[in-house]
Amino acid sequence: MIEFHRVSKVYAVGPVKVPALSDVSFAVAKGEFVILAGPSGAGKTTLLRLLYRAAVATEGEVTVLGRPVADLQRSQVAELRRSIGIVFQDAKLLPGRTVYENVAFVLRVTGVPRREITSRVFDALRAVGISARAQSFPAQLSQGEAQRASLARAIARKPALLIADEPTANVDDAMAAELIDVLKDIWARGTTVMLATHEARLALRLKQRMLVLDHGRLVKDG
Amino acid sequence: MIAFVFSEALRDLRRAGRVAVSAVVLIGISLVALGGFWLLSSNLGRAVAEWRERVRIVVYLKREPAPAEVAALLQRVQDAGSIASAVYVGKADALQSLRRALGKDATVLEQLPSNPLPASIEVTPTPAAATPDGTRALIARLGALPEVEEVAGGLEWVERLAHWQRLLELIGLGVGALLCSAAILTVTTATTLVLHARRQETEIMRLVGAAEILVRLPLLLQGMLQGLLGALLALLTLKAAHSLVAPHLDPLLNVTIGLPTLNFLPISALAMLILAGTLLGGVGGWLARAPTR
Repeated sequence: MIEFHRVSKVYAVGPVKVPALSDVSFAVAKGEFVILAGPSGAGKTTLLRLLYRAAVATEGEVTVLGRPVADLQRSQVAELRRSIGIVFQDAKLLPGRTVYENVAFVLRVTGVPRREITSRVFDALRAVGISARAQSFPAQLSQGEAQRASLARAIARKPALLIADEPTANVDDAMAAELIDVLKDIWARGTTVMLATHEARLALRLKQRMLVLDHGRLVKDG
Repeated sequence: MIAFVFSEALRDLRRAGRVAVSAVVLIGISLVALGGFWLLSSNLGRAVAEWRERVRIVVYLKREPAPAEVAALLQRVQDAGSIASAVYVGKADALQSLRRALGKDATVLEQLPSNPLPASIEVTPTPAAATPDGTRALIARLGALPEVEEVAGGLEWVERLAHWQRLLELIGLGVGALLCSAAILTVTTATTLVLHARRQETEIMRLVGAAEILVRLPLLLQGMLQGLLGALLALLTLKAAHSLVAPHLDPLLNVTIGLPTLNFLPISALAMLILAGTLLGGVGGWLARAPTR
């Protein structure tokens, strides 16, 4: 599903080179639930961005769903991203559209037939427990509800891989636990999940395989 | 998918708001200028074409030939080449024509001791030779005939009219191009505002793997819609202006360049203006760029 082989990523800020990842190697099999842990600035987001080709490795090779992502053409990047669901820390919901429209929007733009959209949107909203808020706008949602809506948007396309970048960062413990339960449900249905978090307590409680990054280096895998 | 692109384009048009309205008005003004010059130029062109069809060369003879010599003389004139027809006008016929032209004043001709009018041959050049160079060459060839006293006629003034027509076209194109560039820039600005307003949507679309064409197509379409609206506005303005001005201009045109009416633009020209407006808007929409992440 995912393979990192001696991957390094350096950001150039003018003449200054800032290393974000150094010599990282690991593999994730289909159907795994992997936690990407580490303090803020450890390189978690950079690693996730390499997965959906929002960034390209400076050295080494990243393979996702059997494809070396650095070699992909623009249209192939779009194709890869259609197989990946992404949840961001800030949810990234479109403010002028309801929860239903936010989810339906990504289905429409990725070519899902119109007749399937309503049922798929409500399936996704039910899966994350937010179908009652379908007609609400993002500004009317709590942080936890916004993250659930974001999760619904990510899973509505039935992705092979779900990437969640700090989805629990802005919610209280109870809401975080609920979101994790939702992620586990999604995983239980066969989706590979990669969850990034800086909260060690949460990571330990999940009892799943954990990749720990520190200053861009993979310091623990297990 | 088509429904999505159209609904997004309309949403974008609403987002652009006043800037989109400015773009529509500017495209309208550009096309009114272009269409206005086109209208004048096409009418002038019509006058030039009509005058070119009427071009005549009159070959005045040194002496009136005997009736038996006329056929041979006409043949020598025909041999000069590029002549569609040559008609002999004898001295008596010329005087008769003058009498008809003078009407009730024809009595003055009775005072003349003798017929002063020369015999002549009215020559109509072939359409290919009805050009300034063609008629000049023909006049030179006819003037070289020994029987010929003088050759009159030509296309100089018609060509001056044609020159003004070309100048009008050039000015129209120049002014049109300038205004069109401004219109494109305005559409680009309107579209850039749209891009700014929908940057989150664009980002999400790219992150979920939407085809790039789906990101760009609504922008192109909303630009084209602005262009189309501008073109329709221009056509309405042109039609209204023509209806108001033409009745006052028609008598003047009739007297000066022989045109009975100032015609409105033909359907093909209207279609071209609509197409031009739509393309202008499309180019403006396509050129818009916003920073992408």
